[in-house]
Amino acid sequence: MANTNPFREDLVTRSQAAPCTVVIFGATGDLTHRKLVPALYNLAVEGELPPGVKIIGFARREKSDEVFRAGLKEINPKVSRSGHEAKIWDPFEENIHYHQSEFQDVDGYQRLADRLDEIDNGRGGKGNRLFYVASAPEFFDDILENLKKVGLNEAADGCWARVIVEKPFGTDLPSAKHLNEVVSRTFAEKETYRIDHYLGKETAQNIMVLRFANAIFEPLWNNRYIEQVQITCSENLGMEGGRGGYYDKSGAMRDMIQNHLLQLLSLVAMEPPTDLSADGVRDEKVKVIRSLRQWDTPEKVAENVVRAQYTAGTVDGVSRVGYREEDRVDPESMTESYVAVRCMIDTWRWSGVPFYVRMGKQLPKKATEISIHFKSPPSVLFNSDSSGTPGGNVLVIRIQPDEGISLRMMSKIPGANLRLEPVKMDFHYATSFGKGSPEAYERLLLDSMAGDATLFARRDEVEEAWKFVDHIERAWHESDNAPPMAEYTAGSWGPKEADDLLKQDGNEWRRL
Amino acid sequence: MTIPENTIALGKEVAIASIDKELHRLWEQDDARTNASLTNLAVYSEHPGGLEKNTQIIQSITREHACRSILIGMDRESPETSITAWITAHCHLAHGRKSVCCEQLSFHLTGRATGRLRNTVFAHLNSDLPLVFWWQGELSDIFSDRLYTLINRFIFDSAEWEKPAEGFAKVATASQASRSFFAFDLAWMRSHSWRLSLAALFDDPLALASLPKTKELNITAHRNQRTTALFVLAWITQQAGWKRSLELDIAADGDVFHFETQEGSEVVAKVSYDETSPLSEVELIAPNCKVRLHRNPDSEYLHQEICAGDHCIGQRAPAGADDPAQLLTDQLALGTKNTLYSKILPSMLELLG
Repeated sequence: MANTNPFREDLVTRSQAAPCTVVIFGATGDLTHRKLVPALYNLAVEGELPPGVKIIGFARREKSDEVFRAGLKEINPKVSRSGHEAKIWDPFEENIHYHQSEFQDVDGYQRLADRLDEIDNGRGGKGNRLFYVASAPEFFDDILENLKKVGLNEAADGCWARVIVEKPFGTDLPSAKHLNEVVSRTFAEKETYRIDHYLGKETAQNIMVLRFANAIFEPLWNNRYIEQVQITCSENLGMEGGRGGYYDKSGAMRDMIQNHLLQLLSLVAMEPPTDLSADGVRDEKVKVIRSLRQWDTPEKVAENVVRAQYTAGTVDGVSRVGYREEDRVDPESMTESYVAVRCMIDTWRWSGVPFYVRMGKQLPKKATEISIHFKSPPSVLFNSDSSGTPGGNVLVIRIQPDEGISLRMMSKIPGANLRLEPVKMDFHYATSFGKGSPEAYERLLLDSMAGDATLFARRDEVEEAWKFVDHIERAWHESDNAPPMAEYTAGSWGPKEADDLLKQDGNEWRRL
Repeated sequence: MTIPENTIALGKEVAIASIDKELHRLWEQDDARTNASLTNLAVYSEHPGGLEKNTQIIQSITREHACRSILIGMDRESPETSITAWITAHCHLAHGRKSVCCEQLSFHLTGRATGRLRNTVFAHLNSDLPLVFWWQGELSDIFSDRLYTLINRFIFDSAEWEKPAEGFAKVATASQASRSFFAFDLAWMRSHSWRLSLAALFDDPLALASLPKTKELNITAHRNQRTTALFVLAWITQQAGWKRSLELDIAADGDVFHFETQEGSEVVAKVSYDETSPLSEVELIAPNCKVRLHRNPDSEYLHQEICAGDHCIGQRAPAGADDPAQLLTDQLALGTKNTLYSKILPSMLELLG
């Protein structure tokens, strides 16, 4: 008989997760407690977690298994999507262990290897291993190199050893290349999973379905019918919880645009893939990133990119300090809390269509969406006197919150006069499908156990995105005529300069 | 005319001719509500009290599946020919934010009804949305080509049938007659979580390696769930590539079948029946490995167990639904993919005899 499980055939419409041991580096951090372990627990609740999955938390602090489990158990009820049930948690918890070691200490990795062998021997021999690097980025090199030193990067025959790397995947192109080289010296590309949790969101996955499973959109999805595309990620928070220390070294461009928003852009702009395999999809996505026109001089950056910091204001009725007054932020910081970029994709399909991408902190509300603005119909008949009325159709894909899709179209106002008003056809996931969507981490962990890398970034995608971003960062931080840092009041929709960026093209930001 | 005893839950009684107008009025009463619908869900019952019971079920289903529900209560024995209608709406707070409501139209028909079912009741379908039709109980002569050519997804429970072979034959006829008719058996759905959990157990390399050496396969099911149990048996044997051997024993307290694995070893499969859960145990025993799934009465979880040599792994998984509302909810969530069921059905019919 073949080594494949015959009972999996036709049972589910996706690749199947295999039993494994998950080793989480940085196990005492927030990500492990608030996202990773609750995601694994929710998979157990749904019956999706393969039997016998073990979790080993690897971190520097001294802790026993019991103390580690107690900490996870305390947080789980507060953050778990499906609540907390002792009947599921208790057997799940028995499979959670703690491994204390410094990230630089090779002996700690040898002890880890012994421990994993012990687990595998208990299972009758060989086992799969999933290493999740969720530590601070400065330890990525040590962790990967030490895994290699003790041979944990190599799997036994018929098994696999994979690595998931959390963002930030580098801080610029050279550091990303360096990290990629370290990773590729340790794990093959097909065993490397660079996580971008935006890709695990239900609506992000629905972009391809919307485009390629509906015949009405694809014929219009080009520069002949689309005037502009806007991708907005608005956050109504600032630097709460001591986040300023990390953020001030990163900024909106590196923290959000380089990864999440360029990934969304590539899903919107990609050509139809030849198949739905991981590389089939990623081949097309990387072509988009590669086709981005480079803003490679300070002048081009000044013309196409706006950076800004918030000043004191009010968000949700609460007074907020300015960015430079935030905890752990340099009072003379030149890190942007807001960025707006005009992206041009130099392909046949998208020639001349601007993709406006913006991200900001301390904006009026939390929302991420993509809006596709179609060209207005000819100014004859109904549109000959439509001044002041937005005439074009707009298709909006809401990524979060209130995931859904809406389409704006023109309609006649009832009455004897011929007056037009835009109306909206609206699809809400929550209204139509009462069942909650799984958390992005649930889907991504399951995919990595199944060997499906479709929703993970590939090396070339990451590097191409850094290449685009690095030109802008260099113009801001290394040139003599650096484009200025604009300001916006906390609670506003961003700086005037960002509005002007669109005005140059005769466009304006969509009001969220 | 026989009217259901308690019609309060069915909402407002309305004249057939004014259903649309009354529905419109219903929505005008409260602007804060969102009317949502992804499908037309018709529920057909010839049981007395079916309308009231199904109203409760729809209340539950609409929490996860927005639909226009059309409940049909049929009294075919009545000498009088009549039709009575009610309308109501089921509203839920979606994610604690928005009141989402789904319409329910209820029809009580007496006397000869096939034509009226099609012409009167189905005149109230939401256009462009698929028609999911849940037939409760035995398939009567109402189930004819005039009816099933309208249906996109036909849901039934073969465990409710006294003569399942006859019921399956009628459904097969309907499937052949209409390309847009897809049949879904709740007995198959009932085994869904068991199949998922069993498949998960065989992800273990030791369990997988022992599969061709299996000697015994034991299934325990409730006495009225024979088709559910036989679906599980048919699925296991077909997926494992086992062939039925000619030897056949009908044991006094259940079914016994003999199979041959691809390696030529013999497997004795026993299906026992009791009065507990719809399914309570599936066990595969090989010389050095035992794979067992079992469920304690009233437990919401399945216990997954593999014992190979001196090592055992145990875990819990959701047991899946027992009640019809949740079963249907789960079925609707699976969409229209039905290839595995179609593949297993012939083997199951063979076991059914």
